[in-house]
Amino acid sequence: MTERATRITLALLAVAGVVLGVLAYQVQVDNLPEPLTTPLRSMATVVAAWSFLAAGLIAWLRRPGNRLGPLMVATCFALLARQFRYSHDSLEFTVFFLVGELGYVLYTHVALAYPSGRVTDRLEKTFLAVAYTVALAFPLAILLTYDATERLRYFDPFLRESLLLVSGDADLVGQLQDAYGVIAYGVLASAFVLLVVRKLMRATPRARRVLAPLLLAAVVAALWALLNGTLTFAESPPGITYDLFWWQIIGLTALPMALLAGLLRARLARVHVGELVVHLEGSSAGELRDELARALEDPTLEVAFWLPERREFVSSDGDPFEVPDDGPRRAVTRLEQDGEPLAVLVHDPTLREEPKLVEGVAAAARLALQNARLHAEVRAQLEKVKESRTRIVTAADEERRRIERDIHDGAQQRLVALALELRSAQRRLGEDLDPEFEGLLASAADELQVAVEELRELAQGIHPGILVQGGLAAALESLAGRSPIPVSVDATQERFSPEIEATAYFVASEGLANVAKHAGATRASIRATHAGELLVVEISDDGVGGAAAQNGSGLRGLTDRVEALGGRLRVESPAGSGTRITGEIPCAS
Amino acid sequence: MRVVIADDSVLLREGLARVLSDGGFEVVAQAANADELRQAVRRFKPDIAIVDVRMPPTHTDEGARAAVEIRAEQPDVAVLVLSQVIEAAHAMRLFSERPEGFGYLLKDRVLEIDDFLEAVRRVGRGGTAIDPEVIGQLVGRRRENDPLEELTPREREVLELMAQGLSNRGICEKLFISPKTVETHVNSIFGKLGLMPATDEHRRVLAVLAYLRS
Repeated sequence: MTERATRITLALLAVAGVVLGVLAYQVQVDNLPEPLTTPLRSMATVVAAWSFLAAGLIAWLRRPGNRLGPLMVATCFALLARQFRYSHDSLEFTVFFLVGELGYVLYTHVALAYPSGRVTDRLEKTFLAVAYTVALAFPLAILLTYDATERLRYFDPFLRESLLLVSGDADLVGQLQDAYGVIAYGVLASAFVLLVVRKLMRATPRARRVLAPLLLAAVVAALWALLNGTLTFAESPPGITYDLFWWQIIGLTALPMALLAGLLRARLARVHVGELVVHLEGSSAGELRDELARALEDPTLEVAFWLPERREFVSSDGDPFEVPDDGPRRAVTRLEQDGEPLAVLVHDPTLREEPKLVEGVAAAARLALQNARLHAEVRAQLEKVKESRTRIVTAADEERRRIERDIHDGAQQRLVALALELRSAQRRLGEDLDPEFEGLLASAADELQVAVEELRELAQGIHPGILVQGGLAAALESLAGRSPIPVSVDATQERFSPEIEATAYFVASEGLANVAKHAGATRASIRATHAGELLVVEISDDGVGGAAAQNGSGLRGLTDRVEALGGRLRVESPAGSGTRITGEIPCAS
Repeated sequence: MRVVIADDSVLLREGLARVLSDGGFEVVAQAANADELRQAVRRFKPDIAIVDVRMPPTHTDEGARAAVEIRAEQPDVAVLVLSQVIEAAHAMRLFSERPEGFGYLLKDRVLEIDDFLEAVRRVGRGGTAIDPEVIGQLVGRRRENDPLEELTPREREVLELMAQGLSNRGICEKLFISPKTVETHVNSIFGKLGLMPATDEHRRVLAVLAYLRS
């Protein structure tokens, strides 16, 4: 049925129900004189039936796939139809006496079919089959033998003829009515109450909460049995009958509403899926499970996560998780992403009745899991980038050291040796040489000496040899010694790994270069301290400050260097009160 | 004077040996690394070992460490350390408060052959030879309210030569001034810096270096 057709059908049913209700009220008022009934009580029976109509129509609209809605609507019509047996008209009497008891059976049917709209339990099915049979067979038998010589029991205002009469037998009619009273109000009503109790006891904790309204149904059934039993067997209805009536009406009216509420709770829950997504953001695996359990209203929920590298499911604690079979005890909902498992939800089987809810929650969980997985991937990549940055810095340092060493131990050594040869040749032959040649020899040796000096300075700039030989403290002192302004040095004598020492040294040398260039300072200080797991290098001066503005490329390169080792570089340079450059380099060893 | 040379460059070693032989020294052994150096020193008990700071296998400070060991184990063997780079702090660490028979020179100084031979001779006799550049770094290090500022340029020159380990006579020859003038300068310097006058040359070097390092 299309949605439009459904809506039209429902609208027609609503109109029909209202009209029938008015007529049912009218039939009672017209035919049942006080004290058998009062207009108020007649109205109450109609309202109770309408309660089923309203609940049924809403359930039908909201849960088109669930038969509970149609069942409740049918119950309404059956309960209203029952009232037409009080008509003077023989045809109406015959027809509606015959079907008049169906309303109560439908009522138990609704209760047992809640919340899925289907009765699957064998015992419950049997019960309903018996109840329907009894509810049709006894009125039929009575109609076949009722010769209208005596009023029927229970509010029968006057004599009417059964159109189905075959052979009249007043005694038999009496016995049939007694038997029906015992079977329907005694046996079947009790059986129904027992079935409800059984259903509740066998339910899972989550299902029990959903099934709670059935207790109301059981109470109503008990009241109904008591009331009708009294009316059938008591000589004259005792005063309590009216109280019972009202209690039964209240229960009868409330039940469909309770059932509807239970049925639609899933819809309310789905509203919570939106909030769930918000809650899930940044939640851990354990929190994720709790949030999902809350949204599904299923405290037994288990969530297991797929580990692609181990190719198995693990619980939120990381333990291996055996996924149970999807069966009557536990239901399994699998979450996938691009055909690859993501996670699995193991939950209460009653949640199968609320696929939309499970779907919504699963979608939220998928989102959260994908998010978590992306986070993990990004973190892993960031880690890799950091590592490679460190490797680049280390490799560059290593390369600088190698170049410096090659210059010192290779070219420089050779040049010194060569110059020494020239010098000693010059000395040995000095007296025998003609002056021009001696001059040439001397200037060649001088040139070589200059070349050696230049080479030494070049190598020193590439990588300060003192760092390797004397460590950071010695290198910083040497640095301070070369500064044009007084620089005090307070440095730890500890040794650190080469890349850490080199980075700290370059922080200090760049910092001092900055002081010399921009600060207009009269003195500066270098501190290098080992604080916890950090090597902290601090260069401060008493200059003009404002260094951040003229933040040269040197400082920027330095920041990269320090960060490559996982550290931080801070430049505090308030205008007018000096500059402080602080490098914090992790040195956990 | 008997000399052991330790340097991993054959070319330089040979060159040094020739210069030293020409200068009247007896080169008793040549070593290419720190182990050979230790053995040679033990075996030949030279007056002086001339040691390159960087030698195989790591080319960092093997020579320097061997020098420190030799000074500790055989105090009567003088050690002259040659370094490709001059770092005052490093030099002072090797110096270790014992100026007798210790020298620390930039390798290039061998090219100033006369000065170099003089330094070897001085150290071999138990004197001191600290590279001018080391002293330059120490003197150049600025202090607050620096008394060095009060020295005349000449006094400064004298101070630096004293710190390098030169005797009064050495300073005379270097600056072409009379011993009397040198003495006047030295007294004036000690007065301005607030140092106790020292007659012993070793003590004098110690005092001046200690002052410069403070």
